[in-house]
Amino acid sequence: MDDIDPVGLAVPFFILAIVLELLLGRLGWARARYEPKDTFTSLAMGLGSSVAGLATAGVIFAASLWVYQHRLFDIPMTAIWAWVLIFLLEDKTYYWFHRLSHERRFWWASHVNHHTSQHYNLSTALRQTWTGGVAGTWLLWLPLSLIGFPPAMVAIQKGISLVYQFWIHTEAIGRMPRWFEAVFNTPSHHRVHHARNPRYLDRNYAGILIIWDRMFGTFQSELEAEPCRYGVVKNLATFNPIRVAFHEWAAIGRDLLRARSLREAALYVFGPPGWSPDGSRETSHQIRARWAAGQGAEGLSPAAAEAIAPTPDAHSGSPA
Amino acid sequence: MDKAFLIQFTGSMAAVAVLVGLAAWARIGRPSPGLDEARARDLLAEDFPDRQVDQLWIAREGRGALARSGACALVLIQVGDGYAARRLSWCQASSAMFRNGLLDIHLDEVAAPRAVLAFDNWPPKDLAA
Repeated sequence: MDDIDPVGLAVPFFILAIVLELLLGRLGWARARYEPKDTFTSLAMGLGSSVAGLATAGVIFAASLWVYQHRLFDIPMTAIWAWVLIFLLEDKTYYWFHRLSHERRFWWASHVNHHTSQHYNLSTALRQTWTGGVAGTWLLWLPLSLIGFPPAMVAIQKGISLVYQFWIHTEAIGRMPRWFEAVFNTPSHHRVHHARNPRYLDRNYAGILIIWDRMFGTFQSELEAEPCRYGVVKNLATFNPIRVAFHEWAAIGRDLLRARSLREAALYVFGPPGWSPDGSRETSHQIRARWAAGQGAEGLSPAAAEAIAPTPDAHSGSPA
Repeated sequence: MDKAFLIQFTGSMAAVAVLVGLAAWARIGRPSPGLDEARARDLLAEDFPDRQVDQLWIAREGRGALARSGACALVLIQVGDGYAARRLSWCQASSAMFRNGLLDIHLDEVAAPRAVLAFDNWPPKDLAA
């Protein structure tokens, strides 16, 4: 069981599913938009990500093993309850990893490339980071090994989560049955997550279960009246995978060169994406607030405007 | 590098080539008839909701646009079947190199290195003082 790699096993399925989506789109039987250069960038990012992952895989595995040696409990990999428990704990970890990756620029720099496509199709799912290992978000999963889950079990559950999230990157599926939409992350929920409309910014961070967003106040349903516009706040004007992978890191470096104090430097790196000392840029929080104010001016009641406005403790966002 | 990795990597590259080829064959991108003034204004309003467009010039065949908004220039760059928008100073846009019918604006960003817009002439004749 230690050798199971859900993502590796699923690669043929990924390819076949993309072919199927393309054909259904070509035949007009399903909504699917593909632009060849965009598709190339997404797939090249996916391939590059698996290669880049090899560079840090050893360190991550060694760290997981070291932590596991200091575990608090012995959790058997063969027990069903252990799998149920890790499913929930891993998914909650993913939620916070994902939220952190949107709300703090250092981690956004690694994650942003996944959001750079102006399309939303199954190839977008493969537009993965090249710098995740360096960004260190894998540290968030170490507590699972400290509790006592074997590192292989954690890795398998992470893989299952990634495989699950593949199929939700599509416009071909409208909505799932109501009970499913209530509990699970779905294409509809995740379309919202990839949208750049102010209303949809920094919503729906879920991996498999959407319940975390509902619990932590970041849920937004897809509205018929407001179709998703995909991409980032400042869309990229390039399909070059190298630029896609590193552009936000380069932007951070540039900002650091003009930082006038340590505080400024720290906020450029760890502040919300879009933060600037003079307010010349906007964070997602500010974009949403401006938009919500505009909605209020257009006739929404104050209560309704408040309901769509961001909460002050979060959602400070991910404009690129 | 071990052999298994090389085989897997080569196979993956082949799969990428096939899928991109299929995407090109399918021709199911977004319809992009080129920008007209209304569409350009809509796109600019999405990216710069607080800015008023004083003057707008659509590039040849609708493949991009440049607008003046006070002391700023707003540029729409065609990216595949979509667009990216950027704001820069009007001075930077108006002094950009214009050669062979192409206005080449250096945006100086890794994510958007330049905007190349095709115009019949530049500066435009209807440019307000």
